[in-house]
Amino acid sequence: MSEQSKPLLDVRNLAIAFQTDSGMIRPVDDVSFNIYPGQTLSLVGESGCGKSISAMSILRLLPSPPATYPSGQILFEDEDLLCADESRMQKIRGSRIAMIFQEPMTSLNPVFTVGEQIIEAITLHQHVNSRQARDIAAQALADVGIADPLRRLADYPHQISGGMRQRVMIAMALSCRPRLLIADEPTTALDVTIQAQILELLRKLQEETNMAILLITHDLGVVAENSDAVAVMYAGKIVEYAPVEEIFDRPQHPYTQGLLASVPKLGQDVERLHTIEGTVPPPSNFPTGCRFHPRCPSMQGDPQCRNVIPNLRENLPGHWCACHHAENYPTAPATHPTVAHTRQYS
Amino acid sequence: MSEQQTIIDQPLASPPVSWSRQVARRTLARPLARFGIIWISIVAFCAIFAPLLANSHPIAIKMQGEGWTSPLLRHLTPADITLLVLGIVGVPILFLARWWSLSTRFLVVMGITLPTLILSLIFVRTPGTVVYEWYRQAEADGRVEQVIRTPIPFSPSDRLRDHPNPDPPYPWPPSREHWLGTDINGQDIASNMIHACRIAMAVGFISTGIAVVIGVIVGGLMGYFSGLADLLGMRLVEIFASIPTIYLLLTFVAYYPRNIYIIMAIIGATSWVGDARFVRAEFLKLRNQDFVQAAVAAGLPLPRVLFRHILPNAVAPLLVSVSFGVAGAIMAESTLSFLGLGLVDEASWGRLLDMARGEGGGFRWWIATFPGMAIFLTVLSYNFIGEALRDALDPKLYGGKA
Ligand SMILES: Nc1ncnc2c1ncn2[C@@H]1O[C@H](COP(=O)(O)OP(=O)(O)OP(=O)(O)O)[C@@H](O)[C@H]1O
Ligand SMILES: [Mg+2]
Repeated sequence: MSEQSKPLLDVRNLAIAFQTDSGMIRPVDDVSFNIYPGQTLSLVGESGCGKSISAMSILRLLPSPPATYPSGQILFEDEDLLCADESRMQKIRGSRIAMIFQEPMTSLNPVFTVGEQIIEAITLHQHVNSRQARDIAAQALADVGIADPLRRLADYPHQISGGMRQRVMIAMALSCRPRLLIADEPTTALDVTIQAQILELLRKLQEETNMAILLITHDLGVVAENSDAVAVMYAGKIVEYAPVEEIFDRPQHPYTQGLLASVPKLGQDVERLHTIEGTVPPPSNFPTGCRFHPRCPSMQGDPQCRNVIPNLRENLPGHWCACHHAENYPTAPATHPTVAHTRQYS
Repeated sequence: MSEQQTIIDQPLASPPVSWSRQVARRTLARPLARFGIIWISIVAFCAIFAPLLANSHPIAIKMQGEGWTSPLLRHLTPADITLLVLGIVGVPILFLARWWSLSTRFLVVMGITLPTLILSLIFVRTPGTVVYEWYRQAEADGRVEQVIRTPIPFSPSDRLRDHPNPDPPYPWPPSREHWLGTDINGQDIASNMIHACRIAMAVGFISTGIAVVIGVIVGGLMGYFSGLADLLGMRLVEIFASIPTIYLLLTFVAYYPRNIYIIMAIIGATSWVGDARFVRAEFLKLRNQDFVQAAVAAGLPLPRVLFRHILPNAVAPLLVSVSFGVAGAIMAESTLSFLGLGLVDEASWGRLLDMARGEGGGFRWWIATFPGMAIFLTVLSYNFIGEALRDALDPKLYGGKA
């Protein structure tokens, strides 16, 4: 993938606010990232840091009210999705951008057969008759490695296993050949062997169709094996954004370093497994300055960390980090962060 | 590893059984619910085939020196014809045409009955004046060669004019001729009971149908949008919840002509609040479910999400409320008729019940018992069915949907 190709999705300074009973909260603030065609961007971070709502805002799936977008742009193929109206969004959803969810057990409607659900999605976005839709659906099931697809079309969701359901969800999401697939923790609910199969499948389909994937996960093992670029989120902000090898070889942000250190490695003494002290602050109570500073091991009483919000800046070539204490953290004001890297297949 | 994969990709070994069919099966597994369904089926059968079961007009008659004629067929009203077509053609299609989906079957049946109704309304001329006793008198005079009568040879409004001075005076207690006796006008009670099934079914289903449509729309909007829609809807629900159906009906019949459809509409318009609450709760629960999110994320327009994806999941709990609603509507109509404020010239269980009170506090046991039992059994049946459905839907008893 050439570095100069245009990003498919360009999220700029996105902020998401919710009107709650106890006032306005802003669980996502000033989030920027890019996804290029054929690239997989992983969004990682602890639970509650705003990964899902960032992803859902791309498809405008957050109910509003209470959700509002105080600032930012979500440019998809040069169109700002935050300004698109509902009927325009309906055309994009499922056809240009598709999404798969965490829970395969509940992502299919229990009262319809697998076939009815896939065919509904197909006939919605493609001008085909019901025979052709059926063929496309069967082909989509075959593409995701489901044996005997015509028979499976007649099954109800409760009759097939979790792994199969997630395959069905992927088949449904990919049946209209989307340019971008958003996968919100697609394998968290599955056991490890199935997880590997599903990720392998996504990788294969991505190679075939050159679609982009936004992969949301908090499993760093999944990140290492499946992404080109990684954005690490903490408390509603991206703290580090870099190619996958950079993140694992040269993590710059203390939070990323902590995350990596808390992953058990083969042969490591389990009792000395690192944990990050403290807990994630709730959106109603984000700290001032750097949001990580109360838990940060490298802050050491620096008033700058407490008072000045660090921006995402390119402190190594193609490696963006938001920490006053990162090596080479530039003093120049932030430019628009972008990581166009794609990994080399062996 | 490869062994495991083959196991995982095997579908579970059951044939496709939809969730609704499972619920139906669990409901039918209960003896009380089965009793309820059998009784309701009997009532429905009587309602559909009433003219063939109890009629003063013989099915076929051969007068002296003439051929066979069928006074019964000649006196069928458009409504009778439509119901008979529904019963003879529609019901078998609904239950036996398994090769069509349920909705297709439903549409086919509608496609047959609606044109029947329209055509018979246009072309069928039912004789306006009817002389019920004519056949009996002809028979007594010996002018009839042969006659085939219905099991109960009396129409519900046949006042036995051939006995102008009955001795003893009406009401007659049960006898061989009048199985369940007659009411104070000499009308046969058995015949009235059978024809009253129509009012019971119609009141039950039409008014509940109205209630369900209003309840689904209001409840669905409240539940899906929550927020302001929920707040306003809830106030509406509270207002309607505080209107007592019976008093509104009483007020209405005091000023306006009695019309069964208006009575149904009033019952429907005041009893949707329960349905709305049910649907609201279901929609609130379902709208955050992943499959609803997935449907929106697939680009489905809102009405399709609401009514195709959420509503079918809320239908089963709604059925519980419907079965109790039907029971309530039948009670309301019976109450009204019992108070003497119901329908004037149509057979109704409640109206019969009203005649059980004799002058000076007398009590005609046969007029009270049979319609009373019919009301009791019908209301009880719907309650049994409702309760069995509720249990069949209880995830705690059956381990949930998924
Ligand atoms: N409808 C809402 N109203 C108010 N706050 C909300 C709403 N939805 C989400 N939030 C807030 O947004 C924050 C981020 O939620 P989000 O679901 O994006 O987390 P996440 O990173 O996906 O976590 P997880 O890993 O557990 O899925 C949460 O802390 C929550 O408080
Ligand atoms: Mg999430």
